[in-house]
Parts: sequence; structure tokens; C-alpha cells
Amino acid sequence: MISIPCVSASVMRFNEKELVFLSRQPSEMAAELGMRGPKKGDVVKRRLVKLVVNFLFYFRTDEEEPIGALLLEQCKVERENSQSFSIAFLDEAERKYLFECDSEEQCGEWIDCIVKASYEFMRKNLIFYRTEIHRLTGKDPLEQYGISDETRFQISNGLQLTPGDTSSL
Amino acid sequence: MKLNERSVAHYATCDSPPDKTGFLFKKGERNTAYHRRWFVLKGNMLFYFEERDSREPIGVIVLEGCTVELCESAEEFAFAVKFDCAKARVYKMASDSQVAMESWVKALSRASFDYMRLVVKELERQLEEIQEAAGGSCVGAAVGGMQGRPKLSRRNQVARSRSGASSSSSSSSSLSSSSSAPPMLVPFSAQKSSQDEVQLVSGCSKENGVAWSKPPVALANGFVEGGSSCVAWEGCADPGSSTVIGYGAEGVRAPPVPPRRKGASLESPVCPGTVCFSKLHDWYGKEVEDLRMQWLQSQ
Repeated sequence: MISIPCVSASVMRFNEKELVFLSRQPSEMAAELGMRGPKKGDVVKRRLVKLVVNFLFYFRTDEEEPIGALLLEQCKVERENSQSFSIAFLDEAERKYLFECDSEEQCGEWIDCIVKASYEFMRKNLIFYRTEIHRLTGKDPLEQYGISDETRFQISNGLQLTPGDTSSL
Repeated sequence: MKLNERSVAHYATCDSPPDKTGFLFKKGERNTAYHRRWFVLKGNMLFYFEERDSREPIGVIVLEGCTVELCESAEEFAFAVKFDCAKARVYKMASDSQVAMESWVKALSRASFDYMRLVVKELERQLEEIQEAAGGSCVGAAVGGMQGRPKLSRRNQVARSRSGASSSSSSSSSLSSSSSAPPMLVPFSAQKSSQDEVQLVSGCSKENGVAWSKPPVALANGFVEGGSSCVAWEGCADPGSSTVIGYGAEGVRAPPVPPRRKGASLESPVCPGTVCFSKLHDWYGKEVEDLRMQWLQSQ
């Protein structure tokens, strides 16, 4: 856990050890790319970039522990030119992380993977499939697994509560 | 290690609906007293706030790869979030009722990205089967705005939002249309949006008294230019409806084994690549059952 005593903006703690451990798990995509941070004056540096679940980890090319991680929720991925793409987060859309690939094709693959790497994206897909299967068959496909009631799978309001659930808003 | 903390904190407080919220007691790391905190679960991230109306979280626990167990504690209704890595911290929490504890344990143990991915893949597979069985004839009717859409099983074209409501500049597209895309159909439909170029599909269809809303447009991570960050939830909510229909159980089918992911181990429920959805699901169910048994025995 990181806890830095600070006088101004508070730092949000997170479970760093576990996140570093996650960075070592099998990834969807991993490659050496050029990467430039969002701050003015940042330059492109060669990094090992690795996509694991909804995190994008980046490493110095010869190091085992990542320099950093980007949680890929609420972000926007854009093609910048034929071989580069950027990631920006909704709360600070002007700050872009730039990634330079070796080919147009590679760039396209990365964009594709990152777009699909968010939990929220998957949730929408799930809702779509659930709705569609129901439309076509008249049956709720989650029923047979007993998970129809789970909040995360709900069609409408994400806070669908079952009776007896006391931990609600 | 750095993390894009500001944006992560924004995810905690943005208007995407959380999967679960509530007060829990959390044991401190240095100060080992239990502190009451407001918890917000979104996806595989468990945020905690000092107060329910705090504007920013104190911290977040990334839940990917965790297991949730009951724990021995002087506190009643206690459980622990554990990780499989060396020197990992154990997060001890306590709820204020049996029901709440069970609910949290269930929610947290199924919060992983991998679990969601498995469920999605399973439904995708089921939908393909249905499509193929039906000869592809009924595809497209529910999918507003795209005429002549080929069968879902043809994956050459990932659906592109016709509205161009993707927020990128006109020369770039923020949705990929790579033909080598992994089989994940991007659902799209019209939806009410201030951007309005999106066509509107009429309301929600009702069947058996349940409103099944039209699927939302999926853009790059749910981003809509200038609008709310939650495309999925706007215009699709029908608060009065129940989303669960009771059907007679038909018996569980074991799904065919999906392709194994490179490097994944075979049998761990929390590891990517567990090959059988049905089995994985049983594991999760069993975990909850075990916890329930443990608690009953400890009474």
C-alpha cells in the first residue's frame, strides 16, 4: 500500500504489490512500443507495454517490475496517425498518452484490444447478448447458471437489488 | 509503481452505476482498529471512502486474482480478501449482518474481469449457436440502425456506430474495425443522447411484463462526446421493471471448451484460461457455499 503524507492533494492508496503481481500474469497483448507521457515536455521512450485484463502496464525494456499502470476504464483510444494511437481519460481529455507502433496493422490491433479491455465494455456486451438471446428464445440465458440477479448483469439500473440486501444506497 | 490515480478516482465517482455499495468495517494496516468506511464496488475495483458523501476515495483495492474467505476474528460477520502473491496484504473486513456479509462475499468473489469475460464468452457462444440454428434469419431485427447486417457469426466487420458519435476527430476512428479482431461483437443500437446523430429506436420492448431495453451503443470505453460517460445507462433504464423472468429450469448444459489461453494454468478458478465455463461457475458457487457452511458451523 502506498501512503504518502502530503499537505496538498491527497494520494489515493492502492494495493501496489498485488498490482505488480497482476502485471506478471498472461496478457492479451504485449510488445515493445514507443511511449510518451501526457505531460508537456515528455518524450517518446521505448517501453515494454503489456495489456492484462483492464490494465495497461509499461516497463523499461529490461526490467521486471513495471514503471506504471493505466486502468483502462473511462478512457478514449484514438488513432493519431497510421502507426500511432493515444489513450486519454475522460476526466482530463487533453492529456494523452501516445504509443508508437511498428506498423499500421500492429497499431490497429492495439487499438482494438484496448477498446475491448474495459470491464464496462464487457458489461455492455453481456447485456447485449443477454437481451438478444432472450429476444430470440424467450429465455434468460443467465438463469441456468443462477446468476440472473447479480447486479453486474442487470439490463437496466445497475443497482438492481434483491430483497434482503442491506448494503444498498 | 505509478498508477493513473486521478482517473481511477474519477472512475469511482463518475456516474457509471456501481455493482455494490455499502458500509463495511475495514481493518487498518498500521492502526489495527477497524474503521467504518463507505465502499463502492465497480467492476474489479473496490473503492473505499471516509464517508458516504466524500468526494474522493481514500483508496482502492484491485480485486483481480483475489479470493474471499471468512476469517476468524473477534469481529462478527468478518471476511477477508486475500491474494496469491508473496507478502500480499490481507484485507480484513466486517459487515454488520449475516446477510450483508454473504452479499459482499458473493459480489467480491465474482468481481474479476476474468469472470465477466467468461460469462460474456459463454453468452456469445450461445448466441452464435442460436443464430446458426435459426439459419441467421432473425438477426438484425433488434439491432437498430444497421440494415442488412450479416450473421453475427461473420466477424469481418465489427459494428461501427453509424452516428459517428465516437468522440474522436473526424479523421480518426476510435473504434477498431480490424478484421482480425477477437470475436467480440460490438453491440450497438440507437439511444437517446444529446449528440443525437444516433437514430432512435422506439423505446423498450416488453415481453411477459418485463422490459428488455435495447442494447446500448458501445463506444470506446463508453465514451460519448460531451455527454455523460455512461452510454450504457442513459435512456435504457426502466426502473419499474424486474429484469429476471422465472423460467422452469431446463438443466444445465456444459458448454464446449473454449480455446485455452497461452500460458494460462488449467484448473485455477481465478486464473485466466480456466477452460470450462460451467466448471468455473461451479467453483464460484462452491466458494460461496463453503463460506456459508463455515459460518453455520461456527455458530
